[in-house]
Amino acid sequence: MVTPTPVLNNMFALASNLTSTALKALCVAAVLATGAAHADDYADVNILVRAGKLAEALTKADQYLAGKPRDPQMRFIKGVIQTEAGKPADAIATFTQITQEYPELPEPYNNLAVLYAGQSQFDKARAALEMAIRTNPSYATAHENLGDVYAKLASQAYSKALQLDGGNTGVQPKLALIRTLFAPDAKGQKPGTNPQSSAPVTAAPVAKAPVTPPPATLPPVAATATTTPVLASEKEIESAVRNWAATWSAKDMAGYLASYGKDFDPPGSVGRKAWEDDRRSRIMGKSRISVKLSDLAVAINGGKAVVKFKQAYSADSLNVSSRKTLELVKAGERWVIVRESTG
Amino acid sequence: MTWNLKIAVWTAACAALLVALAAPPAHAEVKKSSKTADVATAEKRKPALRHAKAQPAAKLAVRVDRDGQAEAQLIDIYKLIGQAKTRQALPLAERLVREHPNFQLAQLVYGDLLTAQLGPVRAMGNVPDTTAKAAAQPLAELRRESQLRLQALRERPAPGLLPSQLINLSAQNKHAIAIDTSRSRLYLFENSSTGLKLLADYYISVGKSGIEKTIEGDLRTPLGVYFVTSNLNPKSLKDFYGSGALPINYPNQLDIKRGKTGSGIWLHGTPPTQFSRAPLATDGCVVLANPDLERIIRAVRVRTTPVVIAQSLKWVAPQTIKADSKPFEDALKAWQIAKSSGDMTRLMSWYTPDFSSNGKTLVQWTPALQAEIKKLDGRNIELKDVSYMRWTDTNDTMVVTFGELAQGAKTGQTKRQYWMRQGTEWKIFFEGIIG
Repeated sequence: MVTPTPVLNNMFALASNLTSTALKALCVAAVLATGAAHADDYADVNILVRAGKLAEALTKADQYLAGKPRDPQMRFIKGVIQTEAGKPADAIATFTQITQEYPELPEPYNNLAVLYAGQSQFDKARAALEMAIRTNPSYATAHENLGDVYAKLASQAYSKALQLDGGNTGVQPKLALIRTLFAPDAKGQKPGTNPQSSAPVTAAPVAKAPVTPPPATLPPVAATATTTPVLASEKEIESAVRNWAATWSAKDMAGYLASYGKDFDPPGSVGRKAWEDDRRSRIMGKSRISVKLSDLAVAINGGKAVVKFKQAYSADSLNVSSRKTLELVKAGERWVIVRESTG
Repeated sequence: MTWNLKIAVWTAACAALLVALAAPPAHAEVKKSSKTADVATAEKRKPALRHAKAQPAAKLAVRVDRDGQAEAQLIDIYKLIGQAKTRQALPLAERLVREHPNFQLAQLVYGDLLTAQLGPVRAMGNVPDTTAKAAAQPLAELRRESQLRLQALRERPAPGLLPSQLINLSAQNKHAIAIDTSRSRLYLFENSSTGLKLLADYYISVGKSGIEKTIEGDLRTPLGVYFVTSNLNPKSLKDFYGSGALPINYPNQLDIKRGKTGSGIWLHGTPPTQFSRAPLATDGCVVLANPDLERIIRAVRVRTTPVVIAQSLKWVAPQTIKADSKPFEDALKAWQIAKSSGDMTRLMSWYTPDFSSNGKTLVQWTPALQAEIKKLDGRNIELKDVSYMRWTDTNDTMVVTFGELAQGAKTGQTKRQYWMRQGTEWKIFFEGIIG
């Protein structure tokens, strides 16, 4: 990845901001210096969380925290475990403490908002998200969550205005929980490809309509290559990306999810299943979605491609324009997404 | 960036709305849409907000609501929106709905301000299309309420001008009320030695079917000159009437003469579920927000506070009114002289053939007048605390109230007369004792 993700930015911000006090500097130094060793501990706990072994995960997190009670990352993960385990009060206490000690970090605020929203305390959720954005104005997740909270508050206000029932019974917004405080470095990402999927770039180009969602198994199509292989690939890739946006806009979940390869690495350390569920509830929860892409730039490197573009997302009353990067690999006849990031 | 641009679009639209309100609204259209679904709307607007009032009720009890305060806050919010300051407006709206969760228009504006943080707000009440369809009537009513509130505040009566009906009030009339139904507005005046002064004005709701009440159950608000006849104890009233009720004397003598029917026209408050009601929402009563009604209840006096209800008030300079009413003043003086003279024939010429006094025809009533003349025994009569108000529609009438005393007497009777202009002549078509 060329551009650092917002999470990475946070990490650097943390490093520079916290040096003000000796204690905090020490703590951060510990986090950064022995990052590799700790990363293993974090990863271990995260694996347990992903596997749904929450009690075990909590025990392991507590063990770790017994030695390093102030470690923000593990406390953050503990908050996530408490959230997952259905203990919102505990989770709120955990995240609140982190916000008090590390007010520069947007993630704990974001997760507090998720918890408050889960309790229908939308005004509190809103305040927390506004804090998250104040600490990091380009924090996309918080922006998206805040959009959902504003939309919910607006819908409640409108219901009261028009005396419609359902001010409190309407669809609850599903806000995105952040799983880890310091997202893994992009370079440390496990390779998103496997030998079979990294087919040569010169593979038979496929002529397909950009709007039709790709079926799960694509029937072999007669190769009608007329352009140079590289250009053909670029077109294929662009077409795959546009198709992804089209299925998203059409709320075609099957087509949308099929745009992602089986090696797709969901943001954060959330599992594929959880990610799919989250996407489904987010997408199907909207009455109207429009995703428009512009300024597409495709860079191909063997069986991999990086596509950068401007994404104009609009759903119901929410409008967000952002930069996005997709990494794709060739899987059989198709280009599929293996990584998606903002920036 | 895109955000600023979007907000700018709405702001422009909003500013346009604020400005456009100076122009006369599309009356016909509004009336039509309001009439079609009166009943359905009333039903929709009534049951409501159990959740909204539940929690803050305790807090609200502590706070004392000043009359007109909520509307003033709403207008401050509108002003900020007009200046494209939606971020600054949002916390004000939040506060307003926290203080008055049952103020539906405030909730609508709050919803719009939240929406404005996300993207463009194209119209006031920027609800999703499905909601706009499902609640088309309440939405249209809130937009109309907003328009009327803004209009009444933009188009203020010029200082010193008075409604043309309030010609001559006496020291007995400490306050007066004038209602302009086309603006959904009630004006409260104070009467002192220096004349009438506008104290405050408030948003009001009138009948579902509008105005010009004629028959019982027509869901219309009467037009005319009335008086507050009593002040009902709110404890004896259903929640629906809010913080109190002031019945008025509909049908008055002109209404009776015209064969109008119906009763129970009150000025009253709003139910706990609604801070204010739609412009056209009542069965004929005039409804005010509770804090506004409470202010009026504190001001009015039973029997002496006039309530003028007009489709459209004409604001004129007091001197002009006086000049216009000179012929009537002369007629009243002449009647007084005729009565003092004891000449029955001369006196009777002031009364119309269709005169009526509480069910008695002129012939039936004449003996009572004769008895009065006899009792005067040659003394002149004096008129004290004379007040008269002019009501002009297809007829030109005067509602006159005065204390009538025999010269030298300490006490007399309070009388009310209804006069009607016939060509250039003013004649009495009702006379009665009111206390």
